Amino acid sequence: MITLESVTKTYKTGTVALKDVSMEVSKGEFIFLVGASGAGKSTLMALILREELPDEGRIWVAGRNLANLPRWRVPYLRRNIGCVFQDFRLLPTKTVFENVAFALQVIGRPRHQIERQVTQVLDLVGLADKTNNMPDELSGGEQQRVAIARAFVNRPLILIADEPTGNLDPSTSKDIVQLLDRINKSGTTVVVATHDANIVDTMRKRVIELDNGEIVRDQNRGVYDVDIGNSSGVSARDLVAHSRGRKG
Amino acid sequence: MTIAAVLTVAISLSLVGAALFLRQGVSNATTEWRHGVNVIVWFHPSSSVTEQGAVGDELTQLTYVKSCAYRTQTYNYDQGKQFFQSLLGSASGAMTPSDTPASDQCVLKNPNEAAAIAARFTNMPGVLNVSYPSKAIHNMENVTHIAQLSFLIVALILLISALALIINTIRLAIFSRRKEVSVMKLVGATNWFIRVPFMLEGLVQGLIGALVAVAVVSILNWQLDSASAGNTLSTLYKMRLAGGELAFILVAILLIGVVIGALGSAFAVRRFLDT
Repeated sequence: MITLESVTKTYKTGTVALKDVSMEVSKGEFIFLVGASGAGKSTLMALILREELPDEGRIWVAGRNLANLPRWRVPYLRRNIGCVFQDFRLLPTKTVFENVAFALQVIGRPRHQIERQVTQVLDLVGLADKTNNMPDELSGGEQQRVAIARAFVNRPLILIADEPTGNLDPSTSKDIVQLLDRINKSGTTVVVATHDANIVDTMRKRVIELDNGEIVRDQNRGVYDVDIGNSSGVSARDLVAHSRGRKG
Repeated sequence: MTIAAVLTVAISLSLVGAALFLRQGVSNATTEWRHGVNVIVWFHPSSSVTEQGAVGDELTQLTYVKSCAYRTQTYNYDQGKQFFQSLLGSASGAMTPSDTPASDQCVLKNPNEAAAIAARFTNMPGVLNVSYPSKAIHNMENVTHIAQLSFLIVALILLISALALIINTIRLAIFSRRKEVSVMKLVGATNWFIRVPFMLEGLVQGLIGALVAVAVVSILNWQLDSASAGNTLSTLYKMRLAGGELAFILVAILLIGVVIGALGSAFAVRRFLDT
């Protein structure tokens, strides 16, 4: 579903955001992308969304080689990728229903389809009774559910979440991640970039750790911090060597 | 949508319209003179037949004079009465045929020689005055040429400011809707889907401005009608435009308005929308 092959990205300022990164995310996988600020998580997200192009290496998303994708096709790529952010990015002047419906309106879906799909997805995220509320009348967790509903309403192949629980308390965070898990179970590939050790440790999904633009760990059923979670004391470097071996 | 942008488009296009109008109007008004009589030698009412005969002979001997027609005092009186009556009403009653000058009205092979004739005959015995409309035409054309040029320069400056105002308006619209735009990009709205509303906004501004200008020019034409009060000899009346000429100017104004609006918004969208 997402493949990176020796991807290097250097910004004009000279900052090397990613160094020779290769990874593969299969259809229906749920992965956590972890690492300190500046490790390259956001750059990786931007590359997958084709907001940026790599300097070296190749990227395939949903079967398309992004290097060969003409500019006018980028919107069609993004229809296959749902996006959720730390700051929700809801439109404050629209109701919950309108916020979610907006995602379908702007890609030209017919009204009856919008009506049906929005109702369905709001039901899925547990906000069926808040359809006519404005975003500022909702709690942080509820706002993030609206954002997830908007990202998922078009049934994308991939859902990307950048720090989705960054503004939420631990119990609400858990609910949000469980919602993402439910979406993943419906067949959508989910990529979550996070700092939140709690949710990573609870979910025990595949974890990819970035450090200074390099993948230092790729672990199935992983935890946030390998030194705490792995009592055998295996170092991150050892694990990445192991995981590269795994992919062959 | 700002009133400033619309008004600037309206004012500049009104000036463009007025300039085109002036050119066509003056050309309409002077056509008649251009092809008609070139020089009129007016005889003093008290001049003798001999004096008039001498002038007439000399005129017809000149190689660049095509033909001359002698108009009697009575003829000129009647013409004048007709002309002044429509302008002044009863005041024309003060004139009598014996106060009115007789005249030789000549058509020249080369209308540019009119000034030479004026210089030659003005001081001859019995001659009251030599008038040649080509001089008036020349003056009128000079004046209107300058007026037109200044109208067009001012209009050009205003069109550029209108363009800047439209760009700024669209820029502000993009800025105030940047959240929506970022969400639209995120969920995969096509670039054109995002651009079109902003481009339409600029187009509509240009169009509304142009419509106001169209109204102004139409009113101008209609005002000439009522100002000349149907007097077919009046220059104002002659300046009115025929249907086709007016339509051409109005369509030109509309087109310029739409082009300005489209250009401004296209630039703003390219520069500030970052799609």
